[in-house]
Amino acid sequence: MPPKSETQPPSTGTGTTPSDPSNASIDPILLVLRILPYSFLRPPRLRLKLPTLTLPSPMTVYALVLLTYFMVVSGIVYDVIVEPPSIGSTQDRLTGSIRPVVFLTAQVNGQYIIEGLSSGFMFVLGGIGIVLMDLALDRNRAKSVKVSYATAGISSVVLAYVISMLFIRIKIPGYLY
Amino acid sequence: MVGKSEPLNGTATAKTGQSPSPSPPPATPMSDLLGNFSFKTLKLKTKQQELLIRVSILCLVYVLAFITRLFSVLRYESMIHEFDPYFNYRTTLYLTEKGFYEFWNWFDSESWYPLGRIIGGTLYPGLMVTAAIIYWALRFLSFAVHIREVCVLTAPFFASNTTIVAYFFGKEIWDTGAGLVAAALIAICPGYISRSVAGSYDNEGVAIFALLLTFYLFVKAVNTGSLAWALGSALGYFYMVSAWGGYIFIINLIPLYVLVLLITGRYSMRLYVAYNCTYILGMLLAMQIRFVGFQHVQSGEHMAAMGVFFLMQVFYFLDYVKHLLSDSKMFQAFLRITVTCAVAVGGVALGVGTASGYISPWTGRFYSLLDPTYAKDHIPIIASVSEHQPTAWSSFMFDFHILLFLFPAGLYFCFKRLSDATIFIVMYGLTSMYFAGVMVRLILVATPAVCLISAIAVSATIKNLTQLARAKDKVSQTGSAKGASSTKGSSKGSIDQSQPFQRNGAFALLFGAFYLLSKYATHCTWVTSEAYSSPSIVLAARGAHGNRVIFDDYREAYFWLRQNTPPDAKVMSWWDYGYQITAMGNRTVIVDNNTWNNTHIATVGRAMSSYEDEAYDIMRSLDVDYVLVVFGGVTGYSSDDINKFLWMVRIGGGVFPVIKEPDYLVNGEYRVDKGAAPKMLNCLMYKLSYYRFGEMTTEYGKPPGYDRARGVEIGNKDIKLEYLEEAFTTSNWIVRIYKVKPPNNRW
Repeated sequence: MPPKSETQPPSTGTGTTPSDPSNASIDPILLVLRILPYSFLRPPRLRLKLPTLTLPSPMTVYALVLLTYFMVVSGIVYDVIVEPPSIGSTQDRLTGSIRPVVFLTAQVNGQYIIEGLSSGFMFVLGGIGIVLMDLALDRNRAKSVKVSYATAGISSVVLAYVISMLFIRIKIPGYLY
Repeated sequence: MVGKSEPLNGTATAKTGQSPSPSPPPATPMSDLLGNFSFKTLKLKTKQQELLIRVSILCLVYVLAFITRLFSVLRYESMIHEFDPYFNYRTTLYLTEKGFYEFWNWFDSESWYPLGRIIGGTLYPGLMVTAAIIYWALRFLSFAVHIREVCVLTAPFFASNTTIVAYFFGKEIWDTGAGLVAAALIAICPGYISRSVAGSYDNEGVAIFALLLTFYLFVKAVNTGSLAWALGSALGYFYMVSAWGGYIFIINLIPLYVLVLLITGRYSMRLYVAYNCTYILGMLLAMQIRFVGFQHVQSGEHMAAMGVFFLMQVFYFLDYVKHLLSDSKMFQAFLRITVTCAVAVGGVALGVGTASGYISPWTGRFYSLLDPTYAKDHIPIIASVSEHQPTAWSSFMFDFHILLFLFPAGLYFCFKRLSDATIFIVMYGLTSMYFAGVMVRLILVATPAVCLISAIAVSATIKNLTQLARAKDKVSQTGSAKGASSTKGSSKGSIDQSQPFQRNGAFALLFGAFYLLSKYATHCTWVTSEAYSSPSIVLAARGAHGNRVIFDDYREAYFWLRQNTPPDAKVMSWWDYGYQITAMGNRTVIVDNNTWNNTHIATVGRAMSSYEDEAYDIMRSLDVDYVLVVFGGVTGYSSDDINKFLWMVRIGGGVFPVIKEPDYLVNGEYRVDKGAAPKMLNCLMYKLSYYRFGEMTTEYGKPPGYDRARGVEIGNKDIKLEYLEEAFTTSNWIVRIYKVKPPNNRW
């Protein structure tokens, strides 16, 4: 551990030159700069201030993280590299018209863009549902708010799970057979 | 459990009978004994109950992790799967037969003919040494096992060990409940099972254990600031470096984590001690592996760790000066000077190192993780491997199921209760999920993080729900830790009627949570059984009557090679099969799965895609005696060489511009029927695959020469071979071996 210095009275440090604070700087670069260009140049008077950077709050970061998670789990890298169509199409055998196909069936590692985004949304919805359930319990809020959080949370989780199961059953024939 | 999280002092012995009467009746010794026996109650104290429950859960999880990976051993036999494990098996065999020094200095002339391969210097020895140590230990205890059994069961054994490490890690981050849930989740998670089934004797089986161990020891070191834990972390890192090339992830994640801690103002002496010890010792130990060598000081991928190391020294120096100085203005000036100097020196050093070439840039393999489009445009070999494709949502769902919902919830809980440990697990989770999105294979690395974070969500939610369920009993004790019961206490007067409603609701939600977890278990077992337990070297299909038909053609062909060819014969095939041919066929190959020499592979690709006479010249120049091709037209097997043929053309054309991909396509479409390109119909690969196939009827009602894998009738049925002759075709036509004829006698 670095040695602790004794506390000195603060008056000795700042009491020496109250009139000219710039002379008290020990910055050598400032010293050189004061001699070289600024002995004959005069800097203009500006009122600039460096912007102070503050760290964002944890919940802001969490919101950004959730957005990133949504994009990654929707398969955005797959979309950028493989460039699948946003929705597939098949030709109806009898009428000859083009019908859209949402899910790329029978391939575990393949997707269309829309199905990726909707599945990713379902996952995030499930996660938010659990978060809402926790929010319903832990705070000293009004009872109606807690009840609505709890209802929204439970219904989100149930909905997300059921729809995700439906999606995967459509996509992979023979799932859980 | 609820509210009673006192630290356990691990007393497992105190099962003493708590007899209420202190003095037993003064009778004969026999009845005295019986009296004592009847008073001996089995009532355990709550601490002991909890310990018993925890230990039994961990034992069950340990056994579960092992047995869920045994599907393929039970269905087929105890054999090594896939391609890469055969190389690992061959090297382990060599290690156990010849000893460590021979293994370390081994130059193998049986692969990459005529170049050879320095095996001792180009592999990660951790897996082989681990299996050899287990083998020698079992032999020492007089269990006469064969090395193959040890190799097959190494991965499940280490998966079980990973669950124990996950328990301790979860306990470190959150509490014991989360640790238990994490162990249970990771035991059956399909993302991990896919690379650690019995038979998959590959680096990742051991490496994930080493990864989690290193991370756990490092977080423990940061939490305690103890040098011993930091040393343990360095040793864990050494094990990871010896096991897998994915150690780059550790050596970049830990500095990134330290940087985040510094930015969020969590610099402390504990962090200083932990990071310095881990980095220096870990780096020195890592240089003992020949394959890694001096990369820790020379390669661009390792520079982040060094930069953060120097940054830590600057932080310590500034802290030291701050203690010495009493004037805050002076310190501010000093801070400005030091930071400017440090950044300038660091930048200049990095610039000089990179410009002079001492620090090598990021290799293509890892650069393509940061810029996923790079491999597609520049490195076709990396882009051709199916495991390197980016991940679609269904792969995530398959490998994670419920954990995809629990992961964001767990992140929320971590953000609510930020500490050094939770910041680490959040960073590990986020970075690994991003990489898992870039490459399917890296879902494996993300699995421990996802399981741990999901365990936090499960543990916290169930804790909330059980507190709700028990709230009626605990109304008097409002001093409980969570805020839930305090809200209960505050609104206790007005909602007495809703108490049972909330209690029933909590029970219903608990039941729902258990239902979801049981669906997770069902899903994991189904996925393991159906998708991840196939040996790939033995194929299975359902026959016409639903019975199982097994195709063992690969091993049939390799054993034919082993028994019917001269020992110095050289076999040319596509690089996928190189390891298996050397391990099982015991013959020299031209290229194998190591793919370290792109030009050599391109030469083979050029030979396969040229006309027969040009290919004959190339084969004579490489001393090839036999050519092996894989053909799926009779069985409908779709991973055969004709389907991989375009990659041969692309890789060959990348080095030899005489091979042009459009020559083999018709209107951009790849066809093998009558309308195919003439170059396609006459190239060596086509001829070798379809030789004599034109006379064969494969499916009822289809013309002879109907290719079941492509679903078309082939174009060129009458194939004559001039420079090769057919040596062997397996019973289902999957593997076909041809002999290269010697040149004609000249007069």
